[in-house]
Amino acid sequence: MMSAKTALLAAAGILVFAAFSHTPSSYAQAPQSAAGIPDITGSWERARDASIPAQSQPPLKPQFLKEQQAKTQAAREASAKGTPLADRATMCLPEGMPAMMGATFPIEILQSKGQVTIIEEAFTQVRRILLDQPQKAVDDVEPGFYGHSVGHWEGGTLVVDTVGVRENVVFQNAPHSADMRIKERISLGANGILRDDVTIEDPATLEKPWTFTFGYRRIPNYSLLEYVCEDNREFADEKGQQKFRVDTPANPGK
Amino acid sequence: MIFEKLTMRGSLCLAVVLLMAATAAEAHHSFAMYDHTRTLTLKGTVTKFQWTNPHAYLEIDVRDTKGAVKHYTLEGTSINMMQRIGWRSNMIRFGDSIKVVMAPVTSGEAVGLLLEVTLANGETKALGVPAENTFKRTPEQEQRP
Repeated sequence: MMSAKTALLAAAGILVFAAFSHTPSSYAQAPQSAAGIPDITGSWERARDASIPAQSQPPLKPQFLKEQQAKTQAAREASAKGTPLADRATMCLPEGMPAMMGATFPIEILQSKGQVTIIEEAFTQVRRILLDQPQKAVDDVEPGFYGHSVGHWEGGTLVVDTVGVRENVVFQNAPHSADMRIKERISLGANGILRDDVTIEDPATLEKPWTFTFGYRRIPNYSLLEYVCEDNREFADEKGQQKFRVDTPANPGK
Repeated sequence: MIFEKLTMRGSLCLAVVLLMAATAAEAHHSFAMYDHTRTLTLKGTVTKFQWTNPHAYLEIDVRDTKGAVKHYTLEGTSINMMQRIGWRSNMIRFGDSIKVVMAPVTSGEAVGLLLEVTLANGETKALGVPAENTFKRTPEQEQRP
Protein backbone atom coordinates (compact mmCIF):
# COMPACT_ATOMS: atom_id res chain seq x y z
CA MET A 1 0.00 0.00 0.00
CA MET A 2 1.15 3.50 -0.78
CA SER A 3 2.29 5.46 2.22
CA ALA A 4 0.94 8.94 2.82
CA LYS A 5 4.40 10.38 2.08
CA THR A 6 4.65 8.58 -1.29
CA ALA A 7 1.15 9.70 -2.22
CA LEU A 8 2.02 13.27 -1.37
CA LEU A 9 5.19 13.12 -3.45
CA ALA A 10 3.30 11.63 -6.38
CA ALA A 11 0.65 14.34 -6.16
CA ALA A 12 3.33 17.02 -6.05
CA GLY A 13 5.02 15.42 -9.07
CA ILE A 14 1.77 15.47 -11.06
CA LEU A 15 1.22 19.12 -10.15
CA VAL A 16 4.74 20.08 -11.23
CA PHE A 17 4.33 18.09 -14.44
CA ALA A 18 0.97 19.77 -15.13
CA ALA A 19 2.45 23.20 -14.55
CA PHE A 20 5.37 22.60 -16.92
CA SER A 21 3.37 20.90 -19.64
CA HIS A 22 1.29 24.07 -20.03
CA THR A 23 4.16 26.47 -20.68
CA PRO A 24 4.09 28.00 -24.17
CA SER A 25 7.47 26.64 -25.20
CA SER A 26 7.42 23.78 -27.66
CA TYR A 27 10.88 22.72 -26.51
CA ALA A 28 11.71 19.98 -24.04
CA GLN A 29 11.58 21.67 -20.68
CA ALA A 30 14.77 23.15 -19.39
CA PRO A 31 15.51 22.52 -15.75
CA GLN A 32 13.49 25.03 -13.77
CA SER A 33 14.24 25.79 -10.18
CA ALA A 34 11.74 26.84 -7.61
CA ALA A 35 13.58 30.16 -7.35
CA GLY A 36 11.39 31.80 -10.00
CA ILE A 37 13.70 31.31 -12.95
CA PRO A 38 11.53 32.00 -15.99
CA ASP A 39 11.30 29.76 -19.01
CA ILE A 40 12.92 31.85 -21.73
CA THR A 41 13.81 28.89 -23.95
CA GLY A 42 12.54 29.33 -27.49
CA SER A 43 12.62 31.65 -30.51
CA TRP A 44 12.40 35.40 -30.15
CA GLU A 45 12.34 38.36 -32.48
CA ARG A 46 13.30 41.93 -31.80
CA ALA A 47 10.43 44.05 -30.49
CA ARG A 48 11.52 47.52 -31.52
CA ASP A 49 8.57 49.13 -29.76
CA ALA A 50 9.85 47.63 -26.50
CA SER A 51 13.47 48.64 -26.99
CA ILE A 52 15.44 51.65 -25.84
CA PRO A 53 17.82 52.17 -28.73
CA ALA A 54 21.44 53.07 -28.24
CA GLN A 55 21.91 56.78 -28.82
CA SER A 56 23.47 57.64 -32.17
CA GLN A 57 25.96 59.58 -30.06
CA PRO A 58 27.42 57.16 -27.49
CA PRO A 59 28.97 58.68 -24.33
CA LEU A 60 32.46 58.37 -25.77
CA LYS A 61 35.37 60.56 -24.74
CA PRO A 62 35.76 63.45 -27.23
CA GLN A 63 38.59 61.95 -29.31
CA PHE A 64 36.76 58.62 -29.68
CA LEU A 65 33.43 60.31 -30.33
CA LYS A 66 35.07 62.26 -33.14
CA GLU A 67 36.34 59.01 -34.68
CA GLN A 68 32.95 57.30 -34.30
CA GLN A 69 31.00 60.23 -35.77
CA ALA A 70 33.43 60.56 -38.69
CA LYS A 71 33.10 56.86 -39.54
CA THR A 72 29.32 56.94 -39.28
CA GLN A 73 29.14 60.12 -41.38
CA ALA A 74 31.51 58.75 -44.06
CA ALA A 75 29.46 55.55 -44.33
CA ARG A 76 26.23 57.56 -44.58
CA GLU A 77 27.60 59.90 -47.25
CA ALA A 78 29.06 57.06 -49.32
CA SER A 79 25.73 55.21 -49.21
CA ALA A 80 23.85 58.36 -50.21
CA LYS A 81 26.12 58.58 -53.28
CA GLY A 82 25.37 54.98 -54.21
CA THR A 83 28.95 53.90 -53.49
CA PRO A 84 28.67 52.23 -50.08
CA LEU A 85 31.79 51.60 -48.02
CA ALA A 86 32.66 47.98 -47.39
CA ASP A 87 32.13 46.94 -43.81
CA ARG A 88 32.50 43.71 -41.91
CA ALA A 89 29.15 42.48 -43.28
CA THR A 90 30.63 42.87 -46.77
CA MET A 91 33.22 40.30 -45.73
CA CYS A 92 30.51 37.96 -44.42
CA LEU A 93 31.79 38.37 -40.87
CA PRO A 94 29.38 37.87 -37.97
CA GLU A 95 28.46 40.89 -35.86
CA GLY A 96 29.69 39.62 -32.49
CA MET A 97 28.84 41.23 -29.15
CA PRO A 98 26.84 43.23 -28.38
CA ALA A 99 25.52 43.81 -31.93
CA MET A 100 24.23 40.24 -32.33
CA MET A 101 21.76 40.89 -29.51
CA GLY A 102 20.16 43.45 -31.86
CA ALA A 103 18.62 40.37 -33.50
CA THR A 104 18.31 41.53 -37.09
CA PHE A 105 17.17 37.94 -37.64
CA PRO A 106 15.45 35.86 -34.93
CA ILE A 107 17.35 34.53 -31.93
CA GLU A 108 16.93 31.29 -30.05
CA ILE A 109 17.57 30.91 -26.32
CA LEU A 110 18.32 27.50 -24.84
CA GLN A 111 18.42 26.90 -21.09
CA SER A 112 20.38 23.84 -20.12
CA LYS A 113 22.22 22.68 -17.02
CA GLY A 114 24.86 25.25 -16.17
CA GLN A 115 24.48 27.22 -19.38
CA VAL A 116 22.22 29.58 -21.30
CA THR A 117 22.95 29.55 -25.02
CA ILE A 118 21.87 32.31 -27.40
CA ILE A 119 21.89 31.71 -31.14
CA GLU A 120 21.32 34.47 -33.71
CA GLU A 121 20.04 33.12 -37.00
CA ALA A 122 22.09 35.49 -39.17
CA PHE A 123 25.59 34.05 -39.57
CA THR A 124 24.59 31.30 -37.05
CA GLN A 125 26.12 33.34 -34.23
CA VAL A 126 26.36 31.51 -30.91
CA ARG A 127 27.16 32.79 -27.45
CA ARG A 128 27.39 30.68 -24.34
CA ILE A 129 26.60 32.14 -20.94
CA LEU A 130 28.19 29.90 -18.30
CA LEU A 131 26.12 29.89 -15.13
CA ASP A 132 27.47 30.29 -11.62
CA GLN A 133 31.10 30.40 -12.60
CA PRO A 134 33.64 33.06 -11.73
CA GLN A 135 34.51 35.51 -14.49
CA LYS A 136 38.03 35.25 -15.86
CA ALA A 137 40.48 38.11 -15.89
CA VAL A 138 40.51 39.88 -19.27
CA ASP A 139 44.10 38.73 -19.83
CA ASP A 140 43.02 35.12 -19.43
CA VAL A 141 40.42 35.33 -22.22
CA GLU A 142 41.49 35.02 -25.85
CA PRO A 143 39.86 37.96 -27.66
CA GLY A 144 36.91 36.88 -29.81
CA PHE A 145 33.64 37.94 -31.41
CA TYR A 146 31.42 36.99 -28.47
CA GLY A 147 33.80 37.20 -25.53
CA HIS A 148 33.61 35.11 -22.37
CA SER A 149 30.23 35.32 -20.67
CA VAL A 150 29.28 34.20 -17.19
CA GLY A 151 25.89 34.64 -15.59
CA HIS A 152 23.70 33.93 -12.61
CA TRP A 153 20.04 34.27 -11.79
CA GLU A 154 19.01 36.99 -9.36
CA GLY A 155 15.39 36.03 -8.85
CA GLY A 156 13.88 36.17 -12.34
CA THR A 157 16.73 38.18 -13.84
CA LEU A 158 19.68 36.63 -15.63
CA VAL A 159 22.69 38.79 -14.80
CA VAL A 160 25.46 38.39 -17.37
CA ASP A 161 29.02 39.67 -17.50
CA THR A 162 31.07 39.52 -20.70
CA VAL A 163 34.74 40.32 -21.30
CA GLY A 164 37.21 39.55 -24.07
CA VAL A 165 35.46 41.07 -27.09
CA ARG A 166 38.01 41.83 -29.79
CA GLU A 167 38.76 45.48 -30.37
CA ASN A 168 37.80 45.27 -34.05
CA VAL A 169 34.37 43.86 -33.16
CA VAL A 170 32.48 47.11 -32.75
CA PHE A 171 28.90 48.24 -32.19
CA GLN A 172 27.68 51.33 -34.05
CA ASN A 173 31.25 52.23 -35.05
CA ALA A 174 32.16 52.96 -31.43
CA PRO A 175 35.78 52.07 -30.68
CA HIS A 176 36.49 50.21 -27.45
CA SER A 177 39.46 48.91 -25.54
CA ALA A 178 40.36 45.28 -24.83
CA ASP A 179 39.09 45.89 -21.29
CA MET A 180 35.49 46.57 -22.35
CA ARG A 181 32.96 44.85 -20.10
CA ILE A 182 29.37 44.20 -21.19
CA LYS A 183 26.85 43.81 -18.38
CA GLU A 184 23.38 42.53 -19.15
CA ARG A 185 20.22 42.03 -17.14
CA ILE A 186 17.86 39.73 -19.02
CA SER A 187 14.31 39.50 -17.66
CA LEU A 188 10.86 38.42 -18.79
CA GLY A 189 8.07 40.92 -18.20
CA ALA A 190 4.48 40.05 -17.36
CA ASN A 191 3.59 41.36 -20.83
CA GLY A 192 5.64 38.55 -22.41
CA ILE A 193 8.37 40.94 -23.50
CA LEU A 194 11.88 39.73 -22.85
CA ARG A 195 14.26 42.59 -22.19
CA ASP A 196 18.01 42.73 -22.27
CA ASP A 197 19.21 45.82 -20.42
CA VAL A 198 22.77 46.33 -21.64
CA THR A 199 25.43 48.42 -19.92
CA ILE A 200 28.80 48.80 -21.58
CA GLU A 201 31.66 49.81 -19.35
CA ASP A 202 34.96 50.87 -20.82
CA PRO A 203 36.64 53.67 -18.86
CA ALA A 204 39.40 53.95 -21.49
CA THR A 205 36.95 55.13 -24.19
CA LEU A 206 33.66 55.98 -22.44
CA GLU A 207 32.96 58.99 -20.24
CA LYS A 208 30.22 57.02 -18.49
CA PRO A 209 28.62 53.61 -19.03
CA TRP A 210 26.68 53.27 -22.29
CA THR A 211 23.22 51.83 -21.69
CA PHE A 212 20.47 50.61 -23.99
CA THR A 213 17.77 47.95 -24.03
CA PHE A 214 16.86 45.31 -26.57
CA GLY A 215 13.27 44.03 -26.33
CA TYR A 216 12.08 40.73 -27.80
CA ARG A 217 8.79 38.99 -28.45
CA ARG A 218 8.32 35.22 -28.64
CA ILE A 219 7.81 33.73 -32.11
CA PRO A 220 5.53 30.75 -31.54
CA ASN A 221 6.31 27.62 -33.53
CA TYR A 222 9.42 29.00 -35.21
CA SER A 223 12.64 27.03 -35.48
CA LEU A 224 15.71 28.95 -36.50
CA LEU A 225 16.80 28.38 -40.09
CA GLU A 226 20.34 27.57 -41.11
CA TYR A 227 22.54 30.42 -42.32
CA VAL A 228 25.81 29.86 -44.13
CA CYS A 229 27.40 32.87 -45.82
CA GLU A 230 28.21 30.80 -48.87
CA ASP A 231 28.37 32.97 -51.96
CA ASN A 232 29.11 36.52 -51.05
CA ARG A 233 29.44 38.38 -54.35
CA GLU A 234 30.13 41.63 -52.55
CA PHE A 235 33.72 42.57 -51.85
CA ALA A 236 35.85 45.51 -50.77
CA ASP A 237 37.91 47.11 -53.54
CA GLU A 238 41.29 48.76 -52.97
CA LYS A 239 39.51 52.01 -51.95
CA GLY A 240 37.43 50.21 -49.36
CA GLN A 241 34.26 50.54 -51.40
CA GLN A 242 31.73 47.76 -51.58
CA LYS A 243 31.73 46.25 -55.08
CA PHE A 244 29.77 43.46 -56.68
CA ARG A 245 31.25 40.49 -58.53
CA VAL A 246 29.37 39.82 -61.77
CA ASP A 247 29.75 36.25 -62.94
CA THR A 248 30.04 35.46 -66.63
CA PRO A 249 26.79 34.34 -68.26
CA ALA A 250 28.52 31.11 -69.28
CA ASN A 251 29.09 30.18 -65.67
CA PRO A 252 26.84 32.23 -63.44
CA GLY A 253 27.32 31.73 -59.74
CA LYS A 254 28.63 28.56 -58.24
CA MET B 1 -3.38 73.82 -38.77
CA ILE B 2 -4.44 70.31 -37.85
CA PHE B 3 -3.42 69.20 -41.32
CA GLU B 4 -0.03 70.82 -40.86
CA LYS B 5 0.40 69.04 -37.54
CA LEU B 6 -0.58 65.73 -39.08
CA THR B 7 1.86 66.20 -41.94
CA MET B 8 4.62 67.05 -39.50
CA ARG B 9 3.80 64.00 -37.47
CA GLY B 10 3.76 61.99 -40.69
CA SER B 11 7.22 63.13 -41.73
CA LEU B 12 8.53 62.46 -38.26
CA CYS B 13 7.12 58.92 -38.44
CA LEU B 14 8.68 58.49 -41.88
CA ALA B 15 12.02 59.75 -40.58
CA VAL B 16 11.87 57.29 -37.70
CA VAL B 17 10.96 54.45 -40.06
CA LEU B 18 13.80 55.37 -42.43
CA LEU B 19 16.24 55.62 -39.55
CA MET B 20 15.16 52.23 -38.23
CA ALA B 21 15.38 50.74 -41.70
CA ALA B 22 18.85 52.22 -42.14
CA THR B 23 19.96 50.82 -38.79
CA ALA B 24 18.60 47.40 -39.66
CA ALA B 25 20.22 47.47 -43.07
CA GLU B 26 23.58 48.55 -41.64
CA ALA B 27 23.83 45.31 -39.73
CA HIS B 28 23.85 43.44 -43.02
CA HIS B 29 24.78 43.99 -46.61
CA SER B 30 24.19 47.41 -48.07
CA PHE B 31 21.86 47.87 -51.03
CA ALA B 32 23.04 51.47 -51.49
CA MET B 33 24.79 50.66 -54.78
CA TYR B 34 21.40 50.24 -56.45
CA ASP B 35 19.59 53.16 -58.05
CA HIS B 36 16.84 54.29 -55.69
CA THR B 37 15.29 56.62 -58.28
CA ARG B 38 14.08 54.19 -60.95
CA THR B 39 13.18 50.59 -61.66
CA LEU B 40 13.31 48.35 -64.71
CA THR B 41 10.75 45.69 -65.54
CA LEU B 42 12.23 42.75 -67.46
CA LYS B 43 10.71 39.67 -69.00
CA GLY B 44 13.15 36.84 -69.41
CA THR B 45 14.12 33.21 -69.17
CA VAL B 46 15.73 31.85 -66.02
CA THR B 47 19.24 30.43 -66.42
CA LYS B 48 19.80 30.02 -62.67
CA PHE B 49 18.04 30.60 -59.37
CA GLN B 50 20.72 30.41 -56.73
CA TRP B 51 19.41 29.68 -53.23
CA THR B 52 22.29 30.94 -51.06
CA ASN B 53 23.19 33.35 -48.30
CA PRO B 54 24.02 36.13 -47.77
CA HIS B 55 21.65 36.63 -50.70
CA ALA B 56 19.79 34.66 -53.35
CA TYR B 57 20.66 35.35 -56.99
CA LEU B 58 18.52 35.12 -60.08
CA GLU B 59 20.20 34.93 -63.49
CA ILE B 60 18.02 35.66 -66.50
CA ASP B 61 18.36 36.07 -70.27
CA VAL B 62 16.31 38.90 -71.75
CA ARG B 63 15.64 39.00 -75.51
CA ASP B 64 15.11 42.42 -77.07
CA THR B 65 12.81 43.22 -80.01
CA LYS B 66 15.64 42.50 -82.48
CA GLY B 67 16.28 39.08 -80.95
CA ALA B 68 19.54 39.95 -79.20
CA VAL B 69 19.95 38.36 -75.78
CA LYS B 70 21.21 40.28 -72.77
CA HIS B 71 22.07 38.52 -69.53
CA TYR B 72 21.12 40.06 -66.19
CA THR B 73 22.28 39.14 -62.71
CA LEU B 74 19.70 39.98 -60.06
CA GLU B 75 20.45 40.08 -56.37
CA GLY B 76 17.78 38.99 -53.92
CA THR B 77 17.65 39.19 -50.16
CA SER B 78 18.71 36.59 -47.59
CA ILE B 79 17.04 33.23 -48.19
CA ASN B 80 16.15 33.23 -44.48
CA MET B 81 14.17 36.43 -44.90
CA MET B 82 12.66 35.07 -48.12
CA GLN B 83 11.55 31.85 -46.40
CA ARG B 84 9.86 33.82 -43.65
CA ILE B 85 7.70 35.58 -46.25
CA GLY B 86 6.80 32.37 -48.04
CA TRP B 87 9.55 31.81 -50.61
CA ARG B 88 10.77 28.30 -51.41
CA SER B 89 13.81 27.25 -53.40
CA ASN B 90 11.69 25.41 -55.97
CA MET B 91 9.47 28.35 -56.88
CA ILE B 92 11.75 29.33 -59.76
CA ARG B 93 13.33 26.74 -62.06
CA PHE B 94 15.74 26.75 -65.00
CA GLY B 95 13.92 27.76 -68.17
CA ASP B 96 10.97 29.46 -66.45
CA SER B 97 9.57 32.54 -68.18
CA ILE B 98 9.31 35.22 -65.55
CA LYS B 99 8.89 38.95 -65.11
CA VAL B 100 10.92 40.94 -62.61
CA VAL B 101 10.96 44.46 -61.22
CA MET B 102 14.49 45.50 -60.27
CA ALA B 103 16.47 48.54 -59.24
CA PRO B 104 19.47 48.76 -61.59
CA VAL B 105 22.99 49.02 -60.17
CA THR B 106 24.39 52.56 -60.42
CA SER B 107 27.58 51.31 -62.14
CA GLY B 108 25.60 50.60 -65.33
CA GLU B 109 26.35 46.86 -65.37
CA ALA B 110 23.54 44.42 -66.22
CA VAL B 111 22.89 43.90 -62.52
CA GLY B 112 19.91 44.78 -60.40
CA LEU B 113 18.35 44.46 -57.00
CA LEU B 114 15.34 42.19 -57.26
CA LEU B 115 12.26 43.87 -55.79
CA GLU B 116 9.54 41.59 -57.11
CA VAL B 117 9.10 38.57 -59.35
CA THR B 118 6.08 37.39 -61.32
CA LEU B 119 6.52 33.63 -61.34
CA ALA B 120 5.82 31.31 -64.27
CA ASN B 121 2.42 30.53 -62.70
CA GLY B 122 1.49 34.22 -62.75
CA GLU B 123 1.84 34.81 -59.02
CA THR B 124 3.72 37.99 -58.05
CA LYS B 125 5.97 37.84 -55.00
CA ALA B 126 8.03 40.57 -53.34
CA LEU B 127 11.55 39.88 -52.06
CA GLY B 128 11.21 41.70 -48.75
CA VAL B 129 14.01 44.17 -49.47
CA PRO B 130 14.56 46.30 -46.32
CA ALA B 131 13.18 49.83 -46.75
CA GLU B 132 11.71 48.74 -50.07
CA ASN B 133 9.59 51.89 -50.24
CA THR B 134 12.77 53.97 -50.65
CA PHE B 135 13.17 52.46 -54.15
CA LYS B 136 11.04 54.63 -56.45
CA ARG B 137 9.09 52.53 -58.94
CA THR B 138 9.06 53.62 -62.59
CA PRO B 139 5.85 52.81 -64.49
CA GLU B 140 6.63 50.21 -67.17
CA GLN B 141 5.75 52.49 -70.12
CA GLU B 142 8.15 55.21 -68.91
CA GLN B 143 11.16 52.95 -68.50
CA ARG B 144 14.43 53.32 -70.36
CA PRO B 145 16.75 50.34 -70.47
